[in-house]
Formats: sequence, structure tokens, C-alpha cells
Amino acid sequence: MDAHDGHEAREASAQAPVRRESIRIPVTGMTCAACQARVQSALARQPGVDDASVNLMMENAAITFDPALTSPEQLVSAVRATGYGAELPAPERSPLAEQEALDRSQRDELRAMTQRAVVSVVAGAVAMLLPMILPMQSRLLPPALLALSAAIILFAGRHFYVHAWQALRHHSADMDTLIAAGTGAAFIYSLMATFAPGFFLAHGVAPNLYYEAVIVIIALVLTGNVFEARAKRSTSSALRALVELQPATARVVRGDAVTEVPVTSVVAGDVLLVRPGERIPVDGEVISGSSAVDESMLTGESLPVEKSTGARVIGATVNRTGAFHYRATTVGADSTLARIVRLMRDAQSSRAPVQALADRVSSIFVPVVISLSIATFAIWFVALHASGAIPGTATVRAFAAAVAVLIIACPCAMGLAVPTAVMVATGRGAESGILIKGGEALQRIGDVTTVVLDKTGTITEGAPAVTDVIVAPGAEHDANTLLALAASLESQSAHPLADAIVRYADGRGLARQSIQSNEYIVGRGATGVVGEVALAIGNAALMSDWAVSTAALDDRARALAGDGKTIVFVAANGALAGLLAVADPIRATSRAAIDRLEAMGLAVVMLTGDDERTASAIARAAGIERVVAGVLPDGKVAEIARLQRGGAVVAMVGDGVNDAPALAQADIGIAMGGGAAIAAEAADVVLMRSDLGTVVQAILLSRRTMRTMRQNLFWAFIYNVIGIPVAAGALYPAFGLLLSPVLASAAMAFSSVSVVTNSLRLRRASLS
Amino acid sequence: MTALDWIVIAAAVAAIGIVNWYFFIASRGKPPMRHEH
Repeated sequence: MDAHDGHEAREASAQAPVRRESIRIPVTGMTCAACQARVQSALARQPGVDDASVNLMMENAAITFDPALTSPEQLVSAVRATGYGAELPAPERSPLAEQEALDRSQRDELRAMTQRAVVSVVAGAVAMLLPMILPMQSRLLPPALLALSAAIILFAGRHFYVHAWQALRHHSADMDTLIAAGTGAAFIYSLMATFAPGFFLAHGVAPNLYYEAVIVIIALVLTGNVFEARAKRSTSSALRALVELQPATARVVRGDAVTEVPVTSVVAGDVLLVRPGERIPVDGEVISGSSAVDESMLTGESLPVEKSTGARVIGATVNRTGAFHYRATTVGADSTLARIVRLMRDAQSSRAPVQALADRVSSIFVPVVISLSIATFAIWFVALHASGAIPGTATVRAFAAAVAVLIIACPCAMGLAVPTAVMVATGRGAESGILIKGGEALQRIGDVTTVVLDKTGTITEGAPAVTDVIVAPGAEHDANTLLALAASLESQSAHPLADAIVRYADGRGLARQSIQSNEYIVGRGATGVVGEVALAIGNAALMSDWAVSTAALDDRARALAGDGKTIVFVAANGALAGLLAVADPIRATSRAAIDRLEAMGLAVVMLTGDDERTASAIARAAGIERVVAGVLPDGKVAEIARLQRGGAVVAMVGDGVNDAPALAQADIGIAMGGGAAIAAEAADVVLMRSDLGTVVQAILLSRRTMRTMRQNLFWAFIYNVIGIPVAAGALYPAFGLLLSPVLASAAMAFSSVSVVTNSLRLRRASLS
Repeated sequence: MTALDWIVIAAAVAAIGIVNWYFFIASRGKPPMRHEH
């Protein structure tokens, strides 16, 4: 009911012009899913907060709020009130700088954590050796161990107790609660045994000490945390590698002088010089010179790409062969590299739907474990007492089992199961030129049943090219002259077909001739006088306007059109001179990728605005059976919706600009084609390379990742399902097996590390 | 079963009750956590 009212209130306010702001606040000190849930609910409770999403791995909170009702300062203090650290994000920093700062703070935290772990491991070893060095009944032993364990609790383990206490005050509990309760109980018990041994002896109990257990448990948990933090760092290594691609300086040309300046001071419009072997500092457009550029770090494309005047270059790619000048176009936060880094950060901090299960479990988990631990104590006590043990012995053994239950039941493996897999998989994708916008997209790609491909620019190159030049029988011009004439006239036109003809002629080194007059007729072609020749270039309609008979070439024209090519007739001085066939060639990689998709059991559908005949010719060549031709952009949306009604989970692959509505309608929108596609809002996945093979890779990556997540969740759950009863002593009646608190803490550390390691295997997953 | 056993059992039941009351029931006085959807 409440939720319903709230929904209505939001809708009503949405009609008034309400401002919304978003902010990402760095949050420190979170260690598990329960911490994350706590910060998130504290933020969600704040007035004016629309949405709060806290990410444990990235250590931040993304908040959408109404600036009239709250402020970033209030949000920061709300986080601090829960006991975690938070600060205002530094203003106007580029994603690159932010990522570097995050790295640095993670590195410092790791160093401090390693220090604490090492000290406590040494202390643990000393505590275990001390009883062997000192005489057995030495009166010095208990005070020495007490001092050592108190020092470790205060120096190395303090944050466990601080967090546990803060959580307790907010009626919540997390893994720190379990560790604090377990070691705290052992410490207080030992403290009593140290100062009032008479009380224990009077009840027939040896005043056993658990000091070394306290130290060793803290040491093991910290060691586990260190391994976990290191593994977490390597899951984001792909992101770090991207940030490190950014060169520090650029060579700016000012007047005649070339000066080396920090890359941050380059502004759009600056002319820069890049020498062979250097990294290109920022995005831009080549104005002179040419070279081959290695873009593999951003696109996954292994072959260097030729760049000459007019070509776009991307910052952070490597210039291989020649020197060139270029003009900076986008810098700072708008640059391609910064956009990729931001997109990946958002993706990595987003949550996969499968995570909800892990979150729900860990929020009710801790109180349940504490209850189980108390029950373990009671059952052991009563059972031992009933079987004749004196109450003292019964207390000690029941106590050890209860502490082991608390220690083994840490839910951190569960908290790590999904986010680590998302992080590694998004990083792995980026290395292959596949940018996945978030955990949800990552999860959904693997469920796709139907892949809808746009034709132009997706299956095909997207730019028409001349494929055939045919000279009419008895014509006065040969093929080269025909081309040169046509290119000369068409060089003034902006039509894509004209562009194809000009490029083809230029490619063959044909010189253009001067144009005396020209006219361009929409839907027909072009006419004009080039040199001494009166030319008409265009379709059959133009030829009939000019009373030029195309009969001599009609058969050839029909055959070429049947292959999906567009026919351009050329008439010179009133007679048919020949024809040019223009087609948008299929990319070399398309056929194999489509075969592969079909082999994977996916239905492949081609959508195009072309007419039926052209479309089916392309589809035949590409190996696609299902073709929907003659559709307009909104027709594409309707077609995808129709497939979805039929139960298909549809991935739409398009260029991201013209296909935006279709990409949005599809369950997964995949934008293909590099830099420009990154900006495609509607896309869930951006492919940096124009290669359908990367669609196959994206689907394989998603399937692998989902498998890894399920394995992780399975092992984390199973581990607790088995570990808790064993620690409680379920195997004792049959096998006499009991887990000591120390062994329990080792097992707990092992479970987290194994989950993270399993996720890291995705880094080396083969996607072919 | 001696009186001591019953005392331990009663104490354990009470402790479990308190833990669950504290984390599940007493925490309800606060506004519930917002759902993301």
C-alpha cells in the first residue's frame, strides 16, 4: 500500500518541473554485502533521494536526488552516520583522474591491510610458540598472551569491533559482527580464566585460555581479506590498464615551434604532432601526413589502420609508421578513452539481477547464524552434561563449537560471487573491443534466442563501392575514360553513389577533367558537360528522359541487379557509353559470424530498408534465411516487437545512430562501429570493431560469465550449508569430528579466495 | 535433565528470541528499505 502511494506521489511530482541531480559518492570501509545493504538503505531513507545504488566493489554510492530536499553534504553525513567513511566527490574531475585516485586509495588501503595481516600472523606464531618456550605452568604465560591478544585486537582487528558495534546500533549485522562476536566471546572467556581461575577450578574446569585462537582467527581473517583485496584489484586491472594508456604529454604545434605540454592542457583545436612509435595523446582529425595506427588497445583490432588526411585518430592508440599533424577534436572528459573508462566503471558498478538472491540471503543470514550459534552451545552443553561430563567440561566444549559456528559462517563469499564475475567479464570484453553497459546487460546477452541484424553498415561495409564497370558495345570511350568522366561529374555531388564512383576512380589514379556545366536531379542522377563530352549519369529513368536506349546492356543490368547491385548508366553525347554497378559489399567477417550464430542455435534475421530483391541477394551471400525487407526505422521496432511477442529474446545489432529506436526496443541493443557508437544511449553493448564476430564473442562471454556466477553462488551457499553443521558438531556423533575455531577461520578465508579466483578464470576465457 | 540443563536451555531460547527480535522486529520501527524497482 505504502509503495503504491509512493508511486503515485512520484508520478504526480513528475508532472511538475522537478530537478534531479545525480552524484557518485566514494564510500570507504565496506567489507561485505550486508555493509552495502546498510549504506544503501540509509541513503534510500533520506528525504529527496529517488534512487541509491551502492557498489561494494567500486566503493561508491550512485545517488539520484532532488536538490530542493537534500544536498550532497547531507548525503555524505547520512553515510557517515552508518559508520562508514564518505566524502564529497572532487568536482570536475575526468573519469581518468577519478579512476587514478581510486586506484591510489585502494593501493594504500591494501598496504595498510597487508601490514596488519603480517603483524597478526607473526603474533599468532608467537602465541603458539610461547607455551613451548615458557615452562608449562609458568605464571607469566597468561599475562603475556593476554597482552599480545589485546594488542592485536586493538591494532589489527579494531575495525571488526568498530564496524560490528556501529552495525549493532542500527539493528543490523554483517560479517564483522560474526568475527567480533566469535573472537570477543573467546577473549572474555579467557580473560575470566586468567583473573579468576579459582572460579573455574571450583567447578572442576581447567581455566583454558583461547588467546592464541583470538589472535590466529584475526590473522587468518585479515590474510583472507588481503588476498581478496588483491584479487579485487586484479579484477579491475582491465580498467586500470585503460587509464594507463593515456600519455602524459603532447607535442603541440604553435606557430613554427613544437612544444611538449601536459596532455591536460591540450584544448580542442590545437594542432599536434605525433611521431612514429608514440602514443596519440588525444582524439582528433589528421590534417597532414599519414601513418598506420595500432588501435588494438581500444578496438581489439589486431591490424594497424591506415590514416591519412581527414581520418579520425583516437587518443591512447599507438602511431606506428609515419609522423603526422592532426587537430585535436575532443579532450578531457569527452574523449573516447574517458568515455570508455566511464562506461566501464558504470558497468562494473552496476548489479546483475542474479545478485538480488545473494543480497536477500546475506541480510537475514547473520541473525540466523547467531541464533544457530547459541543453539549449538545449549545443545552441546545439555548433551555433554547428560552423558556424564561435568558442567565445566561441557561449557568449554560447547563454547568452542559455538564460536566455530560464528567464525565459519561469514557471508563474504556470497557477497563476492556476482560482482567479481561482472568486473572480470566486463574487463575481458573491453580487451576484445566489446563494451558491456552493466551487469544486467551482461546477464541478458546470454539468454538471447534471436539476433536481428541491420543490413547496412552491420552485415555490409556501410559504404557503397563500384563492383563492375561495363562498356557498351561499340561505345567510343574505354572503361578508364568512362570512369574518369563519370568521376569528374560526380565529384561535385554529395550522393553516396557518386562518392563510391569518385573513390573508385581516385583509387585507380584517374585524373579528373574540368566540368563545364552540371546539374543534379533528385531520384535520377546527374547531367553536365565534362571537357568536350555531354554526360548523363543515372538510372534507367534518366536514360529514358534523355531518349537514350539501354537495350544493349539491359541483360547485364538485370543480372547485376539480381545480385543486389545498383546500376548506374552512363550516356555520352546522347549514346549509351556503359554502366557502373555499385554495391555495398558484405564485410569479409560477416558470413563466418552468421554461420557461427546459427551453429550456436540462434535464429538470425536480417532487417533492411532495401527492396526485396537487393535484400535477398545480400542475405543469400551472407547465409541468412530470414529477411525482412523494405522496413522503415519504426517498422524495425514493430518487427522486433513482433518477434518478442512470439517469445523470442531479441538482440538487435545496428550502427547505433540510425537504429536507436530498434536498439531500445530489443532486449539487447548492440551498437557496432567504434567511437561514435559509444555515445549510443540505446545500446546495451557497444562493439568497438565493425566485425560481426564480436557479437558471437559477446554472447559467449555472457554465457561463460553466467556459468561462473552460478558456480560461485553454488559454492558459497554449499560452503555454508556444509560448514555450519560441521562447525556445530553434526559429524561428532558419527565420526568424532569437530572443527576448532581456528580451522573454521581458515576455511572461511579459503571460501572467499576460491570464489574470487574462479571469477578471475574469466580473464583467460577463450571466446572463439 | 537437571535444573542446570533447563536453565541453559531457557537462557538460550531467550537469547535467540532477543537476537531475532532485535534484528528483525525492532528494526521495523524504521522506514522499510526502498526497493529499486
